[in-house]
Amino acid sequence: MNEAGDAVAGRHVGENLSGYLDGELTQQERQRVELHLADCEECRGLLADLSALRERMGRSGLSSRVEDQWREDMNDLGVQFSRGVGWLLLIGALLIIGGIVIFGFLGDPGIPVGWKLLMGAFYLGLLGLFISVLRQRLIERKTDRYKDVEI
Amino acid sequence: MRQELAQLGNGAHALAIQILGNPEDAADAVHDAFATALARPGAYDPGRGAFKPWFLRVVRNRCIDLLRRRRPTGVDVELLPDPGVSPEDRVQEQERDAVLRHALDALNPDQRQILVLRDYLDLSYGEIAAVLDVAPGTVMSRLHRARIALREQLEDDDE
Repeated sequence: MNEAGDAVAGRHVGENLSGYLDGELTQQERQRVELHLADCEECRGLLADLSALRERMGRSGLSSRVEDQWREDMNDLGVQFSRGVGWLLLIGALLIIGGIVIFGFLGDPGIPVGWKLLMGAFYLGLLGLFISVLRQRLIERKTDRYKDVEI
Repeated sequence: MRQELAQLGNGAHALAIQILGNPEDAADAVHDAFATALARPGAYDPGRGAFKPWFLRVVRNRCIDLLRRRRPTGVDVELLPDPGVSPEDRVQEQERDAVLRHALDALNPDQRQILVLRDYLDLSYGEIAAVLDVAPGTVMSRLHRARIALREQLEDDDE
């Protein structure tokens, strides 16, 4: 507010006018404002302006989305979250099962060492290939400019 | 909680637009706030106040995080057509809202936020203080100054 405005606010009821409009004053403060309003045309005019402004703000379309769009937004979040949890559980279970199988295989004295090495090389190769494909897919996913385009 | 969040979406979006300056970034902020609220429902303590101001505070904090990383651009909100309103009325409504948005743009971010919280989202002074993290006693004076500034700005725009 400019200096003239400040002076006016000091002479009149100032910020209490907003409090009065919003129903945030105590009974005593409200009565004081009402007494002032009865004698002050300027404050009555300001109150009417502020009231109109408040109504205009309330009716304005400051956000253009509809409720359904936000609901869809949240559904997308739910799908993303459940998919993430699903992958986490699957990978965790596979790691545990794989670890148990490998431990059992390597620790079995009945299986010849050559056979163990051969099988180890086979599965290590398979794992290496899987990791390289996974890495490639992740890089593609990160750099694909059209991943969000719906077909 | 989902129902409540969906109802709060538009108001939160309006607040975020006032902070971030454009609807796309604002929608991202609201989306992130949804994720936070849904992932950690225990973060909201009903004993410390209503859900609405708590969620708006999450949105505001997210906006501040985004502001630190992004450069804001101009506001450009496209209004969706409302089938119940005639084309002429819709054009008038859009023009009125455009004038209001232009006037709001001329205010400082603190003034824009407090106006949206009170006059658009209808929060009480206590709730506004909780969202903005300011003393409850300062809300009335800040709000009054913001209203006067908006009124003056609208008058200037009309001239």
